[in-house]
Amino acid sequence: MKKTFALLAMVLIGTTAIAQNKYFTKTGLTTFEASVPSFEEVKAKNESTTAILNTANGEFAALVLVKGFRFKNALMEEHFNENYADSDDFPKATFKGTISDFDSSKLGETATKHSFTGKLTFHGETKTLTNQELSIAMVDGVINISGTFTVEVSDFAIEIPKVVSNKLSKSVNVSFDFKLNKK
Amino acid sequence: MKKKYWIILLIVILGAYFGYSYIYQDHRDIETEKPEFVVTSDAINKEFQDNSTTAETKYLNKTMEVSGAITEITKTDITLNNTIFCNLSEGYETTNLRINDNLTIKGRCIGYDDLLELVKLDQCSIKN
Repeated sequence: MKKTFALLAMVLIGTTAIAQNKYFTKTGLTTFEASVPSFEEVKAKNESTTAILNTANGEFAALVLVKGFRFKNALMEEHFNENYADSDDFPKATFKGTISDFDSSKLGETATKHSFTGKLTFHGETKTLTNQELSIAMVDGVINISGTFTVEVSDFAIEIPKVVSNKLSKSVNVSFDFKLNKK
Repeated sequence: MKKKYWIILLIVILGAYFGYSYIYQDHRDIETEKPEFVVTSDAINKEFQDNSTTAETKYLNKTMEVSGAITEITKTDITLNNTIFCNLSEGYETTNLRINDNLTIKGRCIGYDDLLELVKLDQCSIKN
């Protein structure tokens, strides 16, 4: 009985310690662009990305609801959801990884460059991103994380129909900007 | 003979018009759409917690009205009962709202965030 109690106490203390190290946002900005010069821009943004950072070890997770990507062109948005992202079947895109050399005590108002590695899942396919760059700054207790990376459409089992293949880039630029508050 | 050309021209113009309206059609206007579901925040969150796949099939991309008490307010978003996250359409202000106010919000369900256990809605409007 005593043992169980001690164990329970340890678990409880453990979880509160974890909770204190977490910074998160529900309103992160994620944009992607697959435009080709001189054709209509293929660009969408999602303003309700969830991101969580564990400042104790640099572990980082993000979740984007695919239907939350808004395009300027309504028809493009419809095609993106129905023909490319299949968002009815794959409503979420996730990232789980770690920021290397992360030390929360060294964060300041000037942004510093870090690299991150992790797994990006979209359209039911997972791609590992290795040593991509992002910048981190801490302003008034809010951790700002931003960066860009490029992925290939083919990495996520998405086929571009021939008719539009010259209007749509096969490489997609993804950028993110998260302002994380203490949990 | 001339009549024929006029008819062809008319067809071309009509074709261009309908083609253009199809390609540059308007976005859905969630605010004026009739809601397919009227639910409380606790009820819908429970459905997602119990079985998110079934709930996704049922609610994804659908217009709904959700009611609950405000637990968090920012400039652009409202959270109801810690379970429903509502991203407001442009033009809506949150300055007059207070924590614990009861509210009905109309919006489009974009899915379930299992990191924070939140149902997310976008293009939201405030009903009362």
